[in-house]
Amino acid sequence: MASWPAPGDRALLGKSIKRIDGPDKVAGRAKYTYDIIRPGMLYGRILGSPHPHARIKSIDLSDAQKMPGVKAAIPCVEPGGQAHYQGEEIAAVAATTEEAAEDAIRRIKVDYDVLPHLATVEQAMSADAPQVFEVDAQPRPPGPPAAGAPPPAKVPGNVTKPSLQQEGDVEAALKTAEHIVEGLYQTQVQTHTSLETHGGLCEWDGDKLTAWVSTQGVNAAREGLANALKMPQANVRVITDYMGGGFGSKLGQDVQVLIAAKLAKAANAPVKIMLDRKTEHLVTGNRPSAYAKVRAGADAQGKFVAWDAETWGTGGAGAGAGFPLPYQVYVWPNRRRTHRDVYINAGPQRAFRAPGHPQSCFITEVVVDELADRLKMDPLELRLRNLPEDQPNQQWRKYFPIGAEKIGWNKRHPTGDATAGPIKRGLGCAANRWAGAGNAGTRASCEIMPDGSVVTRIATQDIGTGTRTLVAMITAETMGLPLEAVQTKIGDTNYPFAPGSGGSITVASVSATVRPACEAARDALVAKVAPGLGVEPASLIAKGGRIQSKSDASKSLSWKDACRQLGTASVTGDGAFDRTLATVGTSGVQFADVEVDIETGVTRVKRIVCLQDCGMILDKLTAESQCIGGIIMGTGFALYENRILDRNTALMVNPNMEFYLLPGMSDIPDIDVTLVDQPERGVVGLGEPPVISTAAAIANAVANAVGARIRKLPIAPDTVLAALEQERAGGTL
Amino acid sequence: MPSRRKDQPGFSRRSFLKTVGAGGVAAGVLAKTPGTAAQGGVNAVGPGAVPITLNINGQTHRLDVEPRVTLLDALRNRLNITGVKRVCDRGSCGACTMIVDGRTIYACSTLAIEMQGKKIRTVDGLTQGTVLHPVQQAFYDHDGLMCGFCTPGFVTAAAALLEKNPNPTPEQARRALDGNICRCGTYVRVLEATLNTGKKGVTRG
Repeated sequence: MASWPAPGDRALLGKSIKRIDGPDKVAGRAKYTYDIIRPGMLYGRILGSPHPHARIKSIDLSDAQKMPGVKAAIPCVEPGGQAHYQGEEIAAVAATTEEAAEDAIRRIKVDYDVLPHLATVEQAMSADAPQVFEVDAQPRPPGPPAAGAPPPAKVPGNVTKPSLQQEGDVEAALKTAEHIVEGLYQTQVQTHTSLETHGGLCEWDGDKLTAWVSTQGVNAAREGLANALKMPQANVRVITDYMGGGFGSKLGQDVQVLIAAKLAKAANAPVKIMLDRKTEHLVTGNRPSAYAKVRAGADAQGKFVAWDAETWGTGGAGAGAGFPLPYQVYVWPNRRRTHRDVYINAGPQRAFRAPGHPQSCFITEVVVDELADRLKMDPLELRLRNLPEDQPNQQWRKYFPIGAEKIGWNKRHPTGDATAGPIKRGLGCAANRWAGAGNAGTRASCEIMPDGSVVTRIATQDIGTGTRTLVAMITAETMGLPLEAVQTKIGDTNYPFAPGSGGSITVASVSATVRPACEAARDALVAKVAPGLGVEPASLIAKGGRIQSKSDASKSLSWKDACRQLGTASVTGDGAFDRTLATVGTSGVQFADVEVDIETGVTRVKRIVCLQDCGMILDKLTAESQCIGGIIMGTGFALYENRILDRNTALMVNPNMEFYLLPGMSDIPDIDVTLVDQPERGVVGLGEPPVISTAAAIANAVANAVGARIRKLPIAPDTVLAALEQERAGGTL
Repeated sequence: MPSRRKDQPGFSRRSFLKTVGAGGVAAGVLAKTPGTAAQGGVNAVGPGAVPITLNINGQTHRLDVEPRVTLLDALRNRLNITGVKRVCDRGSCGACTMIVDGRTIYACSTLAIEMQGKKIRTVDGLTQGTVLHPVQQAFYDHDGLMCGFCTPGFVTAAAALLEKNPNPTPEQARRALDGNICRCGTYVRVLEATLNTGKKGVTRG
């Protein structure tokens, strides 16, 4: 069984190690999918539906095909088919230049039968709404459908039947509550806005396909392409060397890549399709909106007694909008929740960094602060009274007081900054949790060559998290070599299987597989050289560039001399996921310090304090960056980001980067990250947890500053001013 | 409201030329040429490909492009100079930042044909052989990068700032980098890297 080196015996692991691909990235040498040009390559473009809902009567490609430079033109939908959202794929062309492809797209003639559409959840839920979609006739029972079960009967509808989750007796418990908070809470639709748009480059060689794809999962992309093209997975190779961000939106097979493969076949030439920014916003996924009508009660001592919620939200055209509720940090002895998915004519949702959690955390943590105000209790004290006992992966009781100390919680004023002037200051906090377990099917191989070269191969992908660096660190650590002496080969389905990078599972999957692979290769080398040194293999260690006896330093070989004894044959170690090296579950807390101008409604986040555990830390530097990045993305969700659909046309009004607002350099608060190292626990993922509680902490801080409750994201100026107005008119508190 | 939406001082990065390029192709583009300039006139070129000469990172490149082709697309698609990235393609994210005659520009909103006779510099030219530019080294040292797709633009903007102002205050550095967007959230360490390079001094221009 594999093991990690003892904490005092680690040369690289747990230290701050710079990314091994850093030089290539800062120099602009790193080649992303977007950057690859193949000999004879054509540029593909897709015509998207200009209508949010239409039936396609006919598609005429003849003029497009005659345009200069056009080598292929294909329909993406059959006549009679429907487009259910703006930008849904109608037809595509491939041409010798992007400009020629764009010109040809404009010559495609499509006869649309424009159909009624739904632009908002309110429209979709209204009694006289056109029934645009189909929903299950009966609520789905929990759990996956039974094998061989017939597909559920469908009826026209825009809203799914309510699904009910409950535990305990909510009505009886609420009768015993001393304080009850009631309110409607809502969060917006957020788009991933990955800087490298979705797309790929497809090249055929006979019946074999090579696809360079901007994906979070090379193996999932291979499976998707093979299934869609009805060809063996063995004939598809997917490569993702460098990847410009995905955040959950690049986990599945993408239609753009499939269209590129079809165009490449039709044109008999490689075809690259990378989406433009507008289409990226429209069709590549988003975080669904969330609405929650909540009643929550506490007793006179501040113990939560019950949570009751009716929730809904939209994930767009035919896609769910589920999220957990209440957020499972605090103990609610009695819970009831009904949820409905609402369908509108907008691009379908996809997994987005901690799916469901930021929404759930915001709703729950704001309710907790409101209960604290009813109780006239410090919200931190109320939290501590309702947290479960600490576990290794649930350390909120420990972290909250530390965070409070760092943010200066003792200086927190009661809700509403009473100081004179328009600038109000406030503090807030929130907690998070995530699972992040590894994938048991992960495999890796490590090869040691007779000249001393070491290569570890695994079909994972580095989506900006530092995976490539971690593989190199573990390899070098295991061989007792410097980082520069080993190579990492990732991002290619030709290497052993690893799962897609979603759910924060990558680091656990990869590290707990690479370590045994490297140990096996190292042990094979040691077994070769032990007889020559006259010692048992078990008495040898690899350290400081040498293979040496633990007890007798004179019995040793340099790494190169040891490898030379391999003769002409490399040794290879195969690794399978070893769950003893990994663990499950992370916890963290965040505190926000904000400044709000109550005349303009503008919020500025001054400081975020973050305490976060992630089991055994592999690379402190990149782990800190991950936390900082999550907090910044959470700040965007809190204050700026909002996919806005025109309520009449259902067309997105901000499908760009100047009106779809992301945080910029001057919006970044002071960020104080404390990583809690738990070397005894093993490795667990960190990609998602840091993004979860930022918006909730900011919302509570804004309410603390302005003295009006913030129940809606983003906390744009109009949200703040409306909350202040409502407070004046009769109260939000 | 994010303060990056303020106009950048010194340069109007939202060029109207992109609109001309996309929408008014048939009209061609008015371009000064040496021959006509002597007669005090202008000459319409395009819409077909025309030969142009660009000076990029000290090297002369001759290529044929349609007048509507942006500087960014000319480099990326015609010359395979891909360090500069295309992200928003309308002058709001900075991933395509280049330095032209000492000033930062959004290459996605600049026509290639208009950049003749100018000194164009990109992230690809900051490295000398395998030696990183001090700004690049600082980004690497401070982990001022994650997925890396915005990084070339940030590196270029930071290099341009430090050439003009070798010792910026944090506020000056923030303003200079407000025209660039990162989605992974590397800003904190990008700023650290930029300020730290400033302290060490940038010698190359």
